[in-house]
Amino acid sequence: MNQQQDEHVQPERGARALEPKHGEKLHSANPDLPTNTTAATVPPALDVVDVHASFRERRSRLPVLNGLSLTVKQGEFVAIVGPSGCGKSTLFHIIGGLLKPQEGQVLMNGHDVTGQRGKISYMPQQPALFPWRTIEDNVLLAGEVAIDAPPRAEALAEARKWLSSVGLAGFEQAYPHMLSGGMQQRAAFLRALLSLQELMLLDEPFSALDALTRSDMQRWLLDIWEQNRRSVLFITHNIEEALLLADRVYVLSNRPATVLHEVHVPFDRPRREEITEESAFLERKRQIAQWMREEQQKARLS
Amino acid sequence: MNAYFKSVWPPFVAVILFIAIWQGAVSLFHIEKWMLPAPSDIAREAATQAERLGMHASATIQLTLIGFAAGTAVGLLIAMVLHLVPFLKSALYPLLILSQNIPTIALAPLLLIWFGFGLLPKLITIILVCFFPVAVAAMDGLTRTDAAMMNYMRMAGAKRHHIFWKLELPHALPSVFSGIKIAATYSVMGAIIAEWIGADKGIGYYMMLQKSAYRTDRLFVAIMIIVALSLLLFLFIALLEKLLVRWRPQKR
Repeated sequence: MNQQQDEHVQPERGARALEPKHGEKLHSANPDLPTNTTAATVPPALDVVDVHASFRERRSRLPVLNGLSLTVKQGEFVAIVGPSGCGKSTLFHIIGGLLKPQEGQVLMNGHDVTGQRGKISYMPQQPALFPWRTIEDNVLLAGEVAIDAPPRAEALAEARKWLSSVGLAGFEQAYPHMLSGGMQQRAAFLRALLSLQELMLLDEPFSALDALTRSDMQRWLLDIWEQNRRSVLFITHNIEEALLLADRVYVLSNRPATVLHEVHVPFDRPRREEITEESAFLERKRQIAQWMREEQQKARLS
Repeated sequence: MNAYFKSVWPPFVAVILFIAIWQGAVSLFHIEKWMLPAPSDIAREAATQAERLGMHASATIQLTLIGFAAGTAVGLLIAMVLHLVPFLKSALYPLLILSQNIPTIALAPLLLIWFGFGLLPKLITIILVCFFPVAVAAMDGLTRTDAAMMNYMRMAGAKRHHIFWKLELPHALPSVFSGIKIAATYSVMGAIIAEWIGADKGIGYYMMLQKSAYRTDRLFVAIMIIVALSLLLFLFIALLEKLLVRWRPQKR
């Protein structure tokens, strides 16, 4: 789209040495990026600064985001929870560059990318796999539409390696409708993971799955992420899911949304599911649930 | 195979029954041959006229295929351009509909006056009847792109041409094919009309000659050929669709 966009892509590529092996973290592939994130040297992967957005509704304006700010550091997993209809999709559309905020900025790696598309990799709520493409071709899609698409043979080799490592071996040539919901979401996640952009936006990815598949997928995502440590922004309605997966959790208010609270999740990685029974976990869960209830009450009263 | 047979035999029996009743009624009520020939008369006439009919039919097939291909191409091109340029769509859509309100039977003689007796006026006639169902079905399919897939493409930063070629067009393919199937049957009709108005060969021309001679039996033979031709073309497109649209369309 413009020159500024092109020069941003380069540093992101270096950070993307994807190897589905245990213990090999993303950042070790790039000596310029220290693994301990000191804000002074490494700009955050995502910095949303005081974003205001509103929609025109008849003659009045309906404010949706009211001075929302949040940060995702390099290699950090950040979750957002909030009441339904609080403007989370609007926030994602702004980060994705589909919408321009009335005020505020979106910075990635220290560069202003407000309103620029193609800067993130995205996993939607529905898998949104293309039914006419095989699983393999679906996973390759993100690379195909990228600004500097990698050679197909190279991308294909990587995709195949990944497909077998996420339990989709043998389904490379299958069509999406032949797969279960959980497998479809794995393919959708892989499509996001294999795209060139370092920051991943996951938009309630497990909300359409049944409870069992969901917890299965959470464990799976935890595992994959801890091997790769991409920068992730994860939207969910499920407080437990947010606490299990994320390093930090932002709790959003009702519409117009701002950040109500920020919760640090102090558990070590790799995490095991047992942490959901620890008191520190339950305490935070209770606290967030209470904040959410208060917000919902406020919404009912107004 | 059993299921296939089950779906095929009812229409088959119905056709046989229809022909039998026709044959019976003609001999029972002593209907004159020039009013309504019996199926057996038609079959006999088809056999004696085979060589002549073959020549005319091949001319019609040629004209139909060229016209159908051109009409489909024009329809797809129009749909693509109007879809990508919304302003053109709002400006030209009414004109497209208008083009279908002019009766082909009135337009064909005009085209003859303007373009002579060559291939061109006939081709234009077929294109005019063919492009519309293709264009409308394709435009319709292109605007009905799945919202979740579109959202993904936009969030992933896909460019306009990527969205069109990788999402909108394949997504519209089933819809495009239903338009092409309609166009396939229309194209035979268009060819017959074009030949009827001005030609020196083809089934349409043959029909015009036989009509003047009150050879009802030969008219029926021509009708059979037209029906067979339409059916064949339709089946061919349906087969092509099966090959190209292998994925099952999503249920909503």
